[in-house]
Amino acid sequence: MGQATTPHTLVDSRGSSCPGPITDLALAYRRAKVGDVIELWATDPGVKPDVQAWAAKTRNEIVSIEDPPGKIVAVVRILRR
Amino acid sequence: MAKTMEFVSKDEAGSVATGRISIIMFSGTADKFIPLGVLAQGAAAMGMDVNVFVTGFALQGFTKQPHDLPFPVEFTSMAPALAQGLKAAHVQPWDAMLRQAKELGAKVYACSMMADVMGLKKADFNDLVDDVVGAATFLQAAEGGQTLFI
Repeated sequence: MGQATTPHTLVDSRGSSCPGPITDLALAYRRAKVGDVIELWATDPGVKPDVQAWAAKTRNEIVSIEDPPGKIVAVVRILRR
Repeated sequence: MAKTMEFVSKDEAGSVATGRISIIMFSGTADKFIPLGVLAQGAAAMGMDVNVFVTGFALQGFTKQPHDLPFPVEFTSMAPALAQGLKAAHVQPWDAMLRQAKELGAKVYACSMMADVMGLKKADFNDLVDDVVGAATFLQAAEGGQTLFI
């Protein structure tokens, strides 16, 4: 399945503080199917380790996490529901 | 060490794939309700089973008749700055966080004994409370997971 055909959900949690972004990710996860990609935007400084912890706990895959100041972008691929 | 190994083996077996956390909410001061909301919502977002057992003065945060939850005396002077900081950071009120946790599956139980002591009937509690139960029910629900006392 190529990148272009993968369902891609954008979740904008900028301005929301912990545990808001991880909850927004969890809510998107509830609606997602295996193989979907969720892209989370956030500003809470704890988001990078929190997304890593969430992915480890729920056993999903982190495609990438970039955390330039002001906009953290985490891309997660759903491996299991 | 033994605990970690036990957790890992259960996790690999998939029986408690994402775990369980049970929170005993005992304190009745406003500051303590913030970690209740954050941890309940955070744990629910992590896919964990979340049980909250409300007892003691904390029951006052769960009544239909709202109570103004006090700050601990030693932090009273810092309360306005905290309120301002929470607002500036867009932190949700604790009850909104707990409500979100419940939408993700968290359960909230009120302690039957302390409810009785404080003259509170089931009908006196707001919709955050799923049931009024005794210690045995909570302990059984908490079995095999982590427990926090707040």
